[in-house]
Amino acid sequence: MNIAKKIKILLQEAELYHSQGLLNEAMEKYNNAKELIQSNEQLKTNQNLINGISKKILALKEDINKIEKAPKKPEISGKMQDLIKKMVSFSPDKNEDLKALDGAIALAKFGQIKRAISEFNELIKTDSLRIVAAKNMLRCHMALSSMDEAVAQYEQWTSDQRFSTIQLDKLRVFLENILKKEGVEKKLPKREPPKDSIDQDQVEGPDVEEDADIIDINSMGITIYRGPNKGQVVEFKVKFQLGNKVSLLIPIRDKDLIDVFKVGDIINDIQYYSAAALYRGSGTVTSVKEIKIGPLRGDYCVDIKILLK
Amino acid sequence: MAIFNIKKKEIECKIVYYGPGRSGKTTNMEYLYKTYKKQVVGEMVSVDTEGDRTLFFDFLPMGLGQIKGFDIRVQVYTVPGQVQYSSTRKLVLKGVDGVIFVADSLAVRREKNMLSLKDLQHNLKEYGINILKIPLIMQHNKRDLAEQGLPLMSIEQMERDLNRQLKVPSFSASAITGDGVGATLKECLKLTLLSFKKQFKSG
Ligand SMILES: Nc1nc2c(ncn2[C@@H]2O[C@H](COP(=O)(O)OP(=O)(O)OP(=O)(O)O)[C@@H](O)[C@H]2O)c(=O)[nH]1
Ligand SMILES: [Mg+2]
Repeated sequence: MNIAKKIKILLQEAELYHSQGLLNEAMEKYNNAKELIQSNEQLKTNQNLINGISKKILALKEDINKIEKAPKKPEISGKMQDLIKKMVSFSPDKNEDLKALDGAIALAKFGQIKRAISEFNELIKTDSLRIVAAKNMLRCHMALSSMDEAVAQYEQWTSDQRFSTIQLDKLRVFLENILKKEGVEKKLPKREPPKDSIDQDQVEGPDVEEDADIIDINSMGITIYRGPNKGQVVEFKVKFQLGNKVSLLIPIRDKDLIDVFKVGDIINDIQYYSAAALYRGSGTVTSVKEIKIGPLRGDYCVDIKILLK
Repeated sequence: MAIFNIKKKEIECKIVYYGPGRSGKTTNMEYLYKTYKKQVVGEMVSVDTEGDRTLFFDFLPMGLGQIKGFDIRVQVYTVPGQVQYSSTRKLVLKGVDGVIFVADSLAVRREKNMLSLKDLQHNLKEYGINILKIPLIMQHNKRDLAEQGLPLMSIEQMERDLNRQLKVPSFSASAITGDGVGATLKECLKLTLLSFKKQFKSG
């Protein structure tokens, strides 16, 4: 096949991938076409052709940018929020309280924080859900980055008779811990135990347990702990996530970075970025592998098992 | 986890379209919405982000009429395929009765198909569901693109990549033209209702 034809096919392919929203695939084809042109003495000077491709690449980059900048969890209509609740409570055997809890947690996960807060506030009325609802409510305030709100909320609960002293203690420890994670050392007020009455807290029903769910991680900041870049903080994009295992992709041109990771390494102080918040934690390197097939051939995939604090 | 309402004589089940980003899940549903007007019992709802990508999910309520005196209602959902939405996909899968895996026939998406299937297996497992046990249909989508001279994988290769162990029913399709779209859903519903029957017998 002559080179002009090859280029034409590459450009057609790129165009189609672009129209299908397969933006990285389109970019690769444009780049392949550009390389072919550059390697050919005749075509190298064809300014029209080169300009044409550059324009296409620019438009493509714009689209990629738009997608990266789009809001991750926008506020949606009340009707849609209802649908989210309905979707996750689709189950015949759970009781209505638990379904309502699942619904509220799902709203929070979908970024519908304000609505979630108001639902948790309702669920606090139910004895068995009080603690789990209250914890989630505090988390929601933190997700809206209103630390003060979270603290004010807790303080308000200290004079709310629905909360027992034991429940309040649990919440206090919980909130102090998340504040610490955010770098705030703060002692929260305790409720003074009532002077004469018998402690009602002796009789307490079981609380609903939370399932520790792992969040979606978009990227992570790792302080390089080996090699020439030691001490530098590098942000890695997460390419793939399966539960608590994430895969980072490191291009072969960053060989220095690839060499940092060895299977079995325990990495302390990783910053995990999700759409809603920043978490700190550690992780264990579980695999470092060269990619053997596909467009990313030659690059490296580093798997890390994450541990959030 | 279908809901059997004996009083109302109603069975409600949940079907989820799964697959990598851009493989055509939303397009499948749009075709159903346009074409099966009699079976569609409400609006199709979507939450998209930039570039038509599904952000949360798409939803389509359908009704299949009566089987043995029971009204069959189906909630159909699609998941967002982009890798970063893994926990959203897990939420959408909650209580699922049947899955349609929409694979992209474009050769450049080969690896993405395989990763997405792995992600499905993992997310089902989190709910205690074995991918080998749940009603599952494989759809090889975008077959129409062969006409435009694009490098597509052969059906044999896709079956080898994705269906060697699962051995589930599979369909070639073009969600754009509608080829194979109805057949895929019908087969999935058939398997799903059949699995209820089995559950009833054993339970
Ligand atoms: N030619 C062709 N294009 C298709 C087909 N199915 C989907 N597309 C196109 O592929 C692109 C992505 O389709 P969607 O239906 O949005 O894909 P999706 O799987 O819902 O993608 P996400 O929501 O990101 O997971 C769109 O541009 C569609 O027009 C098909 O069968 N043939
Ligand atoms: Mg979609």
